[in-house]
Amino acid sequence: MQDPNSFKQAFVKYMLMGLQASRVSSKSMSLQERKEAIKSSADIAMAFARGGANWTNALITSLSKKEQSHALLRSITGKQYERLTKSCYLSCNVQRSKKILRRSYRICSSRRSKARHAPPRRLEANVLARSMAKKRTRVLKKMIPGGEFLDGLSLLNEAFDYVSHLRAQVDLLQCLSRATEVSKLRACSECTLKEMEAPNVGK
Amino acid sequence: MDPPTRSSAAGSGDSGTYTPEIADSIRFEEEIQSLIRDPPPPPPASSSAAAGSSSFTALLGLPPNQAVELLHSPDPTGAGTASAAGGDLWPRLRLPLPCSSPTFPSNAALVERAARFSVFAGAGDGSPSSSGDPSPKTRTDPLPPQRQSPVAKRKEAGEKGSKAKAKKSRNAEDGTAKEDTGGGEQLPYVHVRARRGQATDSHSLAERARREKINARMKLLQELVPGCSKQISGTALVLDEIINHVQSLQRQVEFLSMRLAAVNPRVDFGGLDSFLSSECGRPTAVSSKSGADLEQTTWLEMGVNGGRRQPQPQPQPQQQQFWHVDLVHPHHISQMWEGNDPQPHAFANPGASILSYDPNNSTSLHSNQLKMEL
Repeated sequence: MQDPNSFKQAFVKYMLMGLQASRVSSKSMSLQERKEAIKSSADIAMAFARGGANWTNALITSLSKKEQSHALLRSITGKQYERLTKSCYLSCNVQRSKKILRRSYRICSSRRSKARHAPPRRLEANVLARSMAKKRTRVLKKMIPGGEFLDGLSLLNEAFDYVSHLRAQVDLLQCLSRATEVSKLRACSECTLKEMEAPNVGK
Repeated sequence: MDPPTRSSAAGSGDSGTYTPEIADSIRFEEEIQSLIRDPPPPPPASSSAAAGSSSFTALLGLPPNQAVELLHSPDPTGAGTASAAGGDLWPRLRLPLPCSSPTFPSNAALVERAARFSVFAGAGDGSPSSSGDPSPKTRTDPLPPQRQSPVAKRKEAGEKGSKAKAKKSRNAEDGTAKEDTGGGEQLPYVHVRARRGQATDSHSLAERARREKINARMKLLQELVPGCSKQISGTALVLDEIINHVQSLQRQVEFLSMRLAAVNPRVDFGGLDSFLSSECGRPTAVSSKSGADLEQTTWLEMGVNGGRRQPQPQPQPQQQQFWHVDLVHPHHISQMWEGNDPQPHAFANPGASILSYDPNNSTSLHSNQLKMEL
């Protein structure tokens, strides 16, 4: 099927674009800065190559808030930069209003339940299972970008999508790191070989 | 389906991974459908819950093929022509998918429609031949006639009152009243058969449909996340596994980016371009299977626990071919997967073996490349 291929293709392309744009190899940056640049370019590349999911927008938004990644983001996304960051801003507002709604709902329902004095049924296995699941969904919501305002079903959808793309990202990074390490090793060994040969030739 | 609405500059960098999910859900539903084909024995009261749940998910599972076909009913390939069994529809199901590459929302919509169509499967499920005939027909007919059929089903259900499962369908009057929503896309009502001893009011039915959707998603996630065996039942444990997996993936990304940063100062990323493209030029030279293995491993299947190694089937002949490959990298990377029959299942196939990138192979390759560059 064509689509995973085109995703990967776009992903690699954007990743390399981002790495070149951030000029990690030539600039003198600290290790931390370089690592941040690489990670952000990987994230942006992944989100941008994926296109239109909820987490992608959230990821791009959160990255656009950092000052350092503005240039990087702009270079990768190109023309879409304005559109993406603008739409993310709007979605933030929507989410904020949803949050307010939820808070008010919670307050009302808590008032209602206090009035009714719900019997303490904390030991029922049912209730226990539900609370465990709720705790974990809360954790999951924090981990998935843009997941805080999603309900259960769409959260699971997003999680599925996000996990599969994360895996691809990890693969890409592993490939890149192996490639660069190998090239570095080879470069070193070539240099030392040449140094060793030179005195022989000179003799 | 709507290219202009897609935001990706890559154009098709959209929901490609949805096809794996849909393929997954198809496989999942195939299992369920195989359950349906051997008509389940009339469940005694004690096991009615279990059998009922399986039949409910069967209800959920079976119709999506119909739902997807309806999705693609504008497509000429989509609308099902008459065929006796649902099994016939499954192979045809795969055809519309590549054409239209259903997106995220449509996949969720798919499961919703599955819930909506469940009456058809309900009639087909565990029923003798009398309703067996109309039910395939309803599955294969286009949308408007199907709305008539629930009425017919209800009559048949009335005739078969002696069934072990107590069946009640919702007021077909509601359904028929709301028949015309225009477009073949959405039904306004849900036809669901209630299990014995279960409430049939709209709220609990909707809740049950919702719960079934969530369970279906959880199953898909279980397949995706390695180390989540099928025996782990219970939402909390599966969620635990998912959380651990996501955390470990994110930590891996951090670690790998740190590693890249450490190596970095001496690396020229332009050269890396050509390296990746040459490595990816493999399938042009090689049988698709080994190419598929390599690509699957490097791109799809790196396990969290590190790869299990397998000897690379044909390392030697591949090496010579690299340098004849043209060094324009986007083409390459597409060639990389062209030879591969990209299995949508690969994303969610934890059982597949993992080849890791053979370091010997890579080092010799790199030495060639460096010589060229020097």
